[in-house]
Amino acid sequence: MNLSLNEVEVTAKKAARGAGYSWGLAEEAGKATRWLCAQGLDGCGILADLLSATDGQDLSKMSPTALDNEWTAASGQLCPLIAGASLSDHSAQISQSGLNLGTVLSPLFLIPFAARLNGQSIRVEWNGGSAVTDGGNLSLSLNGTPTASVVTVHTTDQPVPVSVVHTRAEPSDQDWATLIQLTGRTYAPATEESRLLGAGSGLSDAD
Amino acid sequence: MLDAQNNKIERREPAQVMRLSRLGSLHQCRLSFMRNLTRRMAREGWQFSRPVFDINDAGVGRAVYSAKGPDRTYSLVAFAHDLPAELRSDRVIAEAWDATFALFDGVPTTEDVDRLSQNVPLQEAGRVSEKELSLSRANRSGRLWAHVVDSLAAGHQPDADQIAQVGYLMRTTAVYGSGKFGAADREKLSDRPEMNAPFQAEMLSVFLTRAFVRDLVQHMAQAKGGDTAVPLDPVLARDFGIGNSTGLGMAPFIVNHPILFNNWIMAREEAIARVRNVETATPDAVTTFRNLLQCSEASIHNWHSAHEIQIAKLATLRKDLQTISGFVAGDDLLNDHPWNRMHRWAAKTLSEDGQELLASLMLEPYGDLVDTLTQDMSDNASDAFVIDGRQTISQTRDQIENSFGWALGIDWASRENIARAWYVSEEKLEPRLGERFDEPIAEYEQPLAPARDAALAHAAMMDWDAGQPVADFLLRNPEHRHTIRRAQINATAPYSEIHDNTISATVLPIDMLRAKLAFFGATHFDPRSDRWVRISMYSGAPYPEDLNQGNADLWVYPEVSS
Repeated sequence: MNLSLNEVEVTAKKAARGAGYSWGLAEEAGKATRWLCAQGLDGCGILADLLSATDGQDLSKMSPTALDNEWTAASGQLCPLIAGASLSDHSAQISQSGLNLGTVLSPLFLIPFAARLNGQSIRVEWNGGSAVTDGGNLSLSLNGTPTASVVTVHTTDQPVPVSVVHTRAEPSDQDWATLIQLTGRTYAPATEESRLLGAGSGLSDAD
Repeated sequence: MLDAQNNKIERREPAQVMRLSRLGSLHQCRLSFMRNLTRRMAREGWQFSRPVFDINDAGVGRAVYSAKGPDRTYSLVAFAHDLPAELRSDRVIAEAWDATFALFDGVPTTEDVDRLSQNVPLQEAGRVSEKELSLSRANRSGRLWAHVVDSLAAGHQPDADQIAQVGYLMRTTAVYGSGKFGAADREKLSDRPEMNAPFQAEMLSVFLTRAFVRDLVQHMAQAKGGDTAVPLDPVLARDFGIGNSTGLGMAPFIVNHPILFNNWIMAREEAIARVRNVETATPDAVTTFRNLLQCSEASIHNWHSAHEIQIAKLATLRKDLQTISGFVAGDDLLNDHPWNRMHRWAAKTLSEDGQELLASLMLEPYGDLVDTLTQDMSDNASDAFVIDGRQTISQTRDQIENSFGWALGIDWASRENIARAWYVSEEKLEPRLGERFDEPIAEYEQPLAPARDAALAHAAMMDWDAGQPVADFLLRNPEHRHTIRRAQINATAPYSEIHDNTISATVLPIDMLRAKLAFFGATHFDPRSDRWVRISMYSGAPYPEDLNQGNADLWVYPEVSS
């Protein structure tokens, strides 16, 4: 599939909603996935993996128990969408000494949220990789496919080279199908009544 | 409002402007997107051509219409089909149309058109690419198409009364832009001056579609009548708009795009305020206003509807127009803030429909004062999405009281206040409005009831410490996150929220549709139920080859554009 980023955002939002996140967090998922794709990363694949892992879980247990300098989840695994939203809320003062997060599922999904901490470059580090972003640009260093890991987030003076902005996304058919399947949970099954009344038809429109 | 410091008249309050009944009474104005486009194209001397018109005698084939501006060319790629009558439906759930279109960024090669021919006729079931800016389709008017073809084929002009009754030869039923079905994202266009105002690609697509439809009807008449056939009288042709049939799919737009909608309303309110601040009007300005008022009467006279709500609204509006005539006959409108005096008189005297018509009309003499406001009508504030979680509970509650104070006293447990729910149907993936207590839809409800949600969030914060950051609240109450975002947006975008209940038993979705369509520049609002409406676009406008600075703006008013 060759997709516009608007299609990515809309589908990511609905898929997150279908996977059980609130509308507000689903909106965050849409923006974050779009941001990853604009950086040339496989945002749809990252989100599909995340939602597959959190589907059916008690999301409150994957949320930070408190927003202090050490974020951990009751379940032992932090959801990066929930933790990322809190990060974006500027709920922690990020400094050079940084914020420590316990094990985070899909650490890459934290980066779009770290990118919103405006006015400073942010470094996100996990076992096997790191990212530096100043909001619009991203420098990524990967050693293998990122997996769940403890994460630190801190400010940095490290310069970030200018990123190439991508305007399209090309997820794998399988990942896209995973997201589309989750969007299906947000749709109400059609009934005869809804067919007739819901769209307000009943009058001829062919004249 | 009068600012005591400098006696400057301020913009109207959101509490007055953002009521659904008023939004559902809006009229086109100088800032409307169609007029903005035609003004720009005339000013910049855009050139139009038809490099391809390959359509057979049965009316099947393809055509390309190009519009060349100072920096770039845009092309409408049109496919004409032979659609059996039983398949003709304007519903978004239709699967075949009389004509299908894409707006191409540039001049398409034959390969581009071949590629599009495999996809555009399928509409939602096809895919377009980053080279395309919009995707749309249109159906013939069953009432008018055959009459016009037959008349021209027989060597005479169609009946002007029949044309006036319908107003268009084809209706578009959806014009998709902004990245839908694979098309280019809005971001691709946002730094192009000619695409800076909202919906300019879509409006250009419809402008060129209208020329294609005129050419097609003449082509069909020629094919049928041969040497007997005559071309369509240009004066009659100018009366044809492009119809549009708009359903519930568009209604959520103004809720889902709070900043964009704020910017539209803000621009118009600012324009109204600027004109109200004019201390003395020139005789020329007053003459312009008086002339266009007369033209408006003629225009409104031509609006038709069989819907009981609209019949009543039109009767009131026509009566208002008589009342306005009486007022302006007794006032020279030259001195002592004439437009403000008239505006205040209208607020006390006329219906909301009449007030808004007059508010739009009084902008007309003041293009120099208001037209540049169209530059601020897009949404380029992507940062506004980001919540400031450092804000305190107390600040957040204040914001909600400011934007939704009117909603906090409503009993949100009462059935009539939450009778409806917005949902998306599995069958056709389109927004719908259902009966919460009669249909199994509540668990699929879309976040399109900001007022109820604001009241719920406000109540949920009651037990929290006033000084605590709202980020803490959001961590524990993620279900209120979209509401807190909206509240923060409203703090800088005061016209972002509708001041009415969008899920009450009495909500009229057509009010939401009209608000959006009026900003497009639509006329002839003809609701067909409480949830879909027909309109006309570009009725009275010059065709591309006739567009010039003399006719590019006031075409919306009959008898003035020539």
